[in-house]
Amino acid sequence: MVRKDILTSRERFGLLVIDERPDRCNVLPLITSHAADVARVRMRDYYTSGTTMAKAQISALEEYRHDAISFFSEVGIIAEALGSVFEYPDHDLPVLKIPVLTQEKLSKITLPDPATTKRLPLYLEGIDFANQALGDRIPILAYVPAPFTTGMMISAPDTFLMQTIREPDVIYDIMELSLQATIDFCDHIINCGGLPVIVDPLASSSVISPRAYEKFALPYERRLVEYLHRYDLDIILHICGETGPILDLISSSGADLVSVDKVDFSVAVSKLSHQVRLVGNFDTSAILFSSPNAISMEVKNMVRTGMKANRGYIAATGCEVPIHSPKENVQAFISAAKEVGWYWD
Amino acid sequence: MLNNLLPGKITLREWSEHFKDIDDETIRRYRYYDNDTWGHYLQPPATFLVYGARELKRLKFDNSLSSLRMWGFVFNESERLFRARQAGKKVVATMGDLGIVPVVVMAFPECVPFYPECIWWTPFFNESNVLLDQASELGSPEAACFSRAALAAFYKKAYFPEPDIIFGSSGATCDDFSGVMQLLEHIGNEIIWLEVPHRPLQKRHGSSSVTEKTSAGFEYPKRFIEYLIKEYRKVWIHMSRLTGVKDEALLRDSIRKTNQLRSLVRRIKQLWSQADIAPFPAMEMMTIEFGNLYGYGDIDEWLEILRMIHDTIKNRVEKHTGVLPESAIPIAWVSPAADPYLLNFVEDVGLRVVITEYVINQALVEIAEDREPFEALANSFMHASLIGSTSQRIQSIKEAVRAKKIKGVLITNVLGGSHCAMETRQIEQALDEVPVLSLDVPPPFGITEQIRTRIEAFSEILRG
Repeated sequence: MVRKDILTSRERFGLLVIDERPDRCNVLPLITSHAADVARVRMRDYYTSGTTMAKAQISALEEYRHDAISFFSEVGIIAEALGSVFEYPDHDLPVLKIPVLTQEKLSKITLPDPATTKRLPLYLEGIDFANQALGDRIPILAYVPAPFTTGMMISAPDTFLMQTIREPDVIYDIMELSLQATIDFCDHIINCGGLPVIVDPLASSSVISPRAYEKFALPYERRLVEYLHRYDLDIILHICGETGPILDLISSSGADLVSVDKVDFSVAVSKLSHQVRLVGNFDTSAILFSSPNAISMEVKNMVRTGMKANRGYIAATGCEVPIHSPKENVQAFISAAKEVGWYWD
Repeated sequence: MLNNLLPGKITLREWSEHFKDIDDETIRRYRYYDNDTWGHYLQPPATFLVYGARELKRLKFDNSLSSLRMWGFVFNESERLFRARQAGKKVVATMGDLGIVPVVVMAFPECVPFYPECIWWTPFFNESNVLLDQASELGSPEAACFSRAALAAFYKKAYFPEPDIIFGSSGATCDDFSGVMQLLEHIGNEIIWLEVPHRPLQKRHGSSSVTEKTSAGFEYPKRFIEYLIKEYRKVWIHMSRLTGVKDEALLRDSIRKTNQLRSLVRRIKQLWSQADIAPFPAMEMMTIEFGNLYGYGDIDEWLEILRMIHDTIKNRVEKHTGVLPESAIPIAWVSPAADPYLLNFVEDVGLRVVITEYVINQALVEIAEDREPFEALANSFMHASLIGSTSQRIQSIKEAVRAKKIKGVLITNVLGGSHCAMETRQIEQALDEVPVLSLDVPPPFGITEQIRTRIEAFSEILRG
């Protein structure tokens, strides 16, 4: 049976990040664009209007009672502001059409002003709206692509990957630009009341080797985390996809919370939970295709494992909840996690 | 760099920009409990916005590094209390007396006092009814003072750790908070109760009473001191049992340190109120004044912060600069502002606070170091604002107003606070030499156009 919460999500998250046990573990399936489905808004409207995104997130929160609002549509948002061209399908997420570096020299690209460029201000508007509506009781998370992932979205991906081998200096130049653009965006997010969450899916072992991760992605994740630590914020690093081979490296990013996807969670707990707080890692395809009963059982097992994490745990999906996931499946995840994840007597 | 900035008040966004100029070494320098992992506290206001302090977005702050350091320290208090517990310190809740019991607690090594009722700022800084609604559910109704937020904070265990020991002073204290403390006990918290005596008018003492006087000239029967000594000894005994420490010489050390704090704050207030141009904003000054209650749980670090603030203010006064125009009209402020935004707003409309009477007089006076320590503590408590009659409080305010060439008095009446309800109108009526505006402070996020208009009209009257 799910007990009545004692704390708000804000209070719960606040205790987690100061190494205190909250009433129960934070429950945070990555409900991003699925919120558009819950709120019955057209996907294109969701990612082109900050207020619509915020309202959809609030609708999802009312539906599911999970523990955070999550601003995110796709990982191209900074790349687009740097000049890459994206298509906006009506019923799907933006698609990269022309990476800016296929048209323009790196030296000609200027840093975007997050307050005015492309969709960056929409995110800020949404964060602001959500903060005013619910910021006293719900953490407002803003998922920001890490420099490596943005780098791959401003280059042609195959060229980018080849350059990691043949022209590493070019990659470093791209990464410096991406890092600065990311930092500027994060500054704006923070001033609106959002907590930047770093996402680096294109740096996972599903895409690049652990060696390439260590050489090109990790140093910039680390610098971004270091910058955000100047604010004394608690930073979540999320890498979806295969992360088993880079678990040790991820923990050296400096992130305070590490969100993992395709990895044996008990291994992640035993390897990382003395150093960082863990977030994860329910299989999102199960959320789409499985049954509430099966989800409930598996989530309970996952949460029991996660609660052994020394420095705290957030029950989450390994990646985004698929857009058209059945509501009852998402609800099953949340109810099961809340039921098993109770800490207090 | 910050050193090159002219003194002024800046927004949260502006602070974030300036913060970029602060080097990492400076950020690492300021830390509590000397912990390099979690003890850093120099952060811009935006950090606390991200963690829910939404009002910061519409407030303006002093632009000095010393002010930034102060805010970081104050807003980190909740975490600091949890970290204190994690570091093996004893966390001690001291409620109701506002200023004396912490002096006893601080005498014990590795003991951290705090005032749960000071959490009444949280609903305002967070623009939130979470704590107030929870308090209502627990039995403290909407009609009670905002200090009822403490009841919810105890219940939730998310704002401070469960205290190792709780002291509660009742009697001649805030009635509403006495009610809150009773409810706290009702929900399972064991409280060591102290009784605070009422300081009656002179004529009611009876001719046979032996009396003493406060520095403000208010008489009180000497037997009250004997009574209070017993109460404070009770605190000492409980603390000794908790810690195993018995050395009463430590209390003298604690009094000395408390006096360093009080003396420094007195000097800061003097500089602040006597300067031709306001050298520091009223909101920051209120935070400084309330720090006298318990040094925000780390009196050594708080003293360092105040020394830095003192230097900032002194420097500004010497350079004849400040944060408000020289034409700002001097006023007195009676009772705490409750909503910090009000202190910002009065300055925006051309007023300047130079006198405050925030009902914590007992925490502002220095404690005699040449008397027996418990007796000295008792004597100092007899200065308390709330233990005397309203006429005594009015007399003090009147004297301050006359001494400082004040053009007006602003009284904040905490909605639901019973002593406020009884006192405010009397004070308002008695202050017949200058215009007076009294405001009922609404719940969080409740400052309306009507209140703003009243303050603007008050400013125009004073200007006229």
